[in-house]
Amino acid sequence: MVEANATLAAIAMIAVIVYLTRITGYFIGLQLRHIRGIQPVLEALPGCAFMAILAPAVRQGSVSEIVAMTCVVLIMWRSNNVVIATATGMAVLLLGGPYLDAG
Amino acid sequence: MTTWQSALHGVRTSGDYFLSTFIFGVMFGITAAAIGIENWHAMLMSASVFTASGQFAALEFWQAPLPFGTIALSVALVSSRNLLLGMAMTHHFDGHSLRRRIVWLFMLNDPGVVNSFRMDDDVDRLGYVTGYGVSMMTSWLCSTFIGLNAAHWFAAMDLGAVDFAGPLVMATMMMLFFKGSKSRPTPWIVAGVVALVLFELGAADYLILLGSVFAGMGVSIVQVRRAYG
Repeated sequence: MVEANATLAAIAMIAVIVYLTRITGYFIGLQLRHIRGIQPVLEALPGCAFMAILAPAVRQGSVSEIVAMTCVVLIMWRSNNVVIATATGMAVLLLGGPYLDAG
Repeated sequence: MTTWQSALHGVRTSGDYFLSTFIFGVMFGITAAAIGIENWHAMLMSASVFTASGQFAALEFWQAPLPFGTIALSVALVSSRNLLLGMAMTHHFDGHSLRRRIVWLFMLNDPGVVNSFRMDDDVDRLGYVTGYGVSMMTSWLCSTFIGLNAAHWFAAMDLGAVDFAGPLVMATMMMLFFKGSKSRPTPWIVAGVVALVLFELGAADYLILLGSVFAGMGVSIVQVRRAYG
């Protein structure tokens, strides 16, 4: 069992770290903003980070995970409906997983 | 549109991700209860940290004595994309006092930033992202509370499949980026390819992130240079 004081210290530490990641990027951007044409470069960065997480996740995914991801992408492409896309993906994972991953 | 109207607009348009955040919050509550964290500690963490990935990363190492260094490093790594979100908003938070920007940046959140790029120019981006964040925070706290108090119901269930929910939600945001982008998606495609190559080479997660982001940034710079002649 973790002591209460240690828990509170850890929570405070995590909160500070996460908050610093939130403000540091913004202030780095403020230092760079005078560079001509920097805006589209900065705006492309979050998508690059998402791809860095998504691509390996799909590569090592099971059959059900790849099918779920395909469903999400197709539904988003057609409808832009996040709720339906996520719900469908989750349904494939939870209901189809036992069958699709059986082999 | 004023800042407050934009914040309300952020709240109103956050319904989609309110639900997906809710799922993660329930899972976080269940996991925290299973590890033995007291309810009010888990609620305090959700209220003060407000990031699903960072909190889950911390729980991975939650055992006595707490490995502070390991927790700090893992939280910093998984939260590093916040740096990029903040940089992306550099040109969009003008017109507000520095103090307001510093305080409201606490509410910086992925879906709020992604959706803010799709809004009309008259929407105040800081207000919008903050309103979106308030909605996400409400969902996150309510769902954490429910997860903590309903953990015993889920104890016998296998929730392993839900681990992939994170990439699924991220894919929805990526699709919003793809469809809403005014420029070509080449930087993101290159970032994805580089991530795959580095993954196949067995690179560590942080190297995959760094390599992909730098590759995407390089392509984006080339695009801009071509556009400016």
